[in-house]
Amino acid sequence: MTDGMGPERPEWAAWSRYPATVALVAAATAAGVFLRGHLAPPDLVMLYLLGIVVVATRFGRGPSLLASALSVLAFDYFFVPPFHTFAVADERYLLTFATMFGAGLLISALASRVRRHQREAGEREQRAAAAELRARTEEMRSSLLSAVSHDLRTPLGAITGAATTLREGDGELDPAQRADLVETICEEAERLERFVVNLLEMTRLEAGALEVKREWVPLEELVGSALTRLEERLEGRPVHAPLPADLPLISVDPVLMGQVFYNLLENAAKHTPPSSPVEISARVAGGSLVVELSDHGPGLPAGAEALVFDKFYRAAPGGTRGAGLGLAICRGIVQAHGGTISAETRPQGGATFRITLPLTGEAPSVPAEPEPA
Amino acid sequence: MSAPGPLVLVIEDEPQMRRFLRASLTSHGFQVVEASGAKEGTALATSHNPEIVLLDLGLPDADGMALTRELRGWARMPIIVISARGREADKVEALDAGADDYLTKPFGVNELLARIRVALRHAQQARGATETVMEIGPLRLDLGRREVTLDGRELHLTPIEYRLLTLLASHAGKVLTHRQILNEVWGPGHTEQTHYLRVYMAQLRRKIEQDPARPRLLATEPGVGYRFRDRIDPERR
Repeated sequence: MTDGMGPERPEWAAWSRYPATVALVAAATAAGVFLRGHLAPPDLVMLYLLGIVVVATRFGRGPSLLASALSVLAFDYFFVPPFHTFAVADERYLLTFATMFGAGLLISALASRVRRHQREAGEREQRAAAAELRARTEEMRSSLLSAVSHDLRTPLGAITGAATTLREGDGELDPAQRADLVETICEEAERLERFVVNLLEMTRLEAGALEVKREWVPLEELVGSALTRLEERLEGRPVHAPLPADLPLISVDPVLMGQVFYNLLENAAKHTPPSSPVEISARVAGGSLVVELSDHGPGLPAGAEALVFDKFYRAAPGGTRGAGLGLAICRGIVQAHGGTISAETRPQGGATFRITLPLTGEAPSVPAEPEPA
Repeated sequence: MSAPGPLVLVIEDEPQMRRFLRASLTSHGFQVVEASGAKEGTALATSHNPEIVLLDLGLPDADGMALTRELRGWARMPIIVISARGREADKVEALDAGADDYLTKPFGVNELLARIRVALRHAQQARGATETVMEIGPLRLDLGRREVTLDGRELHLTPIEYRLLTLLASHAGKVLTHRQILNEVWGPGHTEQTHYLRVYMAQLRRKIEQDPARPRLLATEPGVGYRFRDRIDPERR
C-alpha cells in the first residue's frame, strides 16, 4: 500500500476525489450488472467493498464515507428486488445494508489511520534528512573555513615575513639572501593567486552559477592552450599528445574544458618528479570521447581513486603542494558537461586520469578548400 | 642623457597599483602621467598626447569599456586594458571596443613591459609603411611574393590558411579576438562561425608547429582568440 503515497506519485487533488469516488462505485455497479448471471448477491457486496477499500486507501475519509453510502444505495437500487427502486421486499436485506455500511466505515477508519501513519513517517524521514544535511553542511563549512584560512595565511605569512625582512634588515642582507627573499615573495604571491582563482571557480561551481557556453572545438586546441599556459610549470617534462587527426569536434565550453586539462596537467606537475613524461591520448568509444592523461609519478594512494576528486583532498596530509581544489573543479566541470572523470593507478606505475564526454549532436561542417599543389 | 622614453598615461583608481606601475615603468625608462579617474584620464589624454594608455576597467566615475570606446573614437595610441575581472567576456568586449591588449591583475612587470613593447611596435608599424617581409622565429613571410617559409622550407598554404597566418603574424605578440579574425579572413557575415576559425587554426598548426598539441607560435587565448607568440618578447613574468 506504500505506492501511491510516495512523493513521486502526487496525491489526487482534493476536488477530484469525489467524482472519482462516484465513478468507482459506478464501475463496481457496472461490473455487477455485467456479471449478475454468475454472481450471488454476497459476491456483489464483496465487489462494492473492494471499491470502498480502494477509495479509502487512495482518497481518504470523506470520499470513503461517500463510497459506503453510494454502494449501499446502488446495491439496493440495482440488485435488490424489486429492481430499479429503493424499496426493499425482503427485510433481511436491511441487515446486509447495515453490515455493508458498517464494514465501509470500518475500512475507511482503518485506511485513514494507515495513511496518517505513512504521512507522519514520511515527514519524520524528511526532518531527519534535513537535520543530517544541516549537520553535514555545517561540518563542510567549518572544514572549508579552516582550509581556506590555512591556505590564505600560509603564503601571506611568507610574503609578509620576506617583505619585512627586506625592509628592516636592508644593511645586513647579502645579495643572495635578498634574491632569495624576493623569489619567495613572487612564488608565494603566485600561489596565493592560484588559490584565490580556484576558490572562486569552486564557489561558482557550487553555487550552480556555472554557465556552460558550448562551442564546437577540436580537442587539440583545449590541450594545446593548457600546455602553453603551463609551459613554465611543466619544467621541461616531455608531454606526448599523439591526438588522432580525425577526432571529431566536440561541443564543450572551451574555457571550462581548457581549465580541466590545465588542472590535470598542473596536478601532474605537482606530483611527479621533474622531467618525468606525461602522455595524453584520446579515442572515440561507444558514442563518447575518451581522453586519458597518464603520468609516471608515484600514482594515487591506495583507495583514494575516488577521493582525489573531493574538495580539499590532499594526497599528503598537511602537504602544502595545493589546496585540494583543482581536481574537484575538474569533476564539477566535466559533470556539468554530462561527462565523467575517474582516476586510477596503473599496474606499471603512475596515475591515469580518464575523462569520458558524450558526443552529442552533429559537428557543423566547415567548407573545405582545395589543398595547394 | 638619453632621450626621454615614451610617455605612458596610467588611468587607475587604486593608489597601490599606480605606485607599482609608476615605479616599474619609470625604472624601465618610461615617462608616466597618472589619472585616478575617467574624467581626469580623458583630460590628460587630450593635453599630454601620450604614446600609450594603461586603462583600468574598474574606474569609479565611468565604465572602462565606455572610456575605451571614447578614447578610440579620436585617438590612435594603443590602449592596454588592465582589469581585476578575469572573465573572458570582459576581455573580448574590451578588445572589440578597441583596446589593443589586456592584462588581468595580478600580473608581473615582465608581462606588462612585453605587452607595452608589442603595442608600441604595432603603433609604429601602423604609422609607417607596412613591411612586406616578416621574420618571426623560424617563420618568414614574404607578403609581396605570397611566400611562406619555415626554417627555409617553403610551406604550401591554402588561401584561407595564408590569410589567417599573415593576419596573426602581422599582429605578432598581440591578441586578436575570434570576431576580429573571422571578420578579416571570412568577412563580416561570418563573425559567429568560430568553428571555421578553430578548424583552420588546427590545420595551420599541423603545417607550422612541430607538435600541434603543444603550439609554440600560434597560442590560444581561451575564450578570447589567438595570439601569434612573439619570441622576441618574453611571455613570462
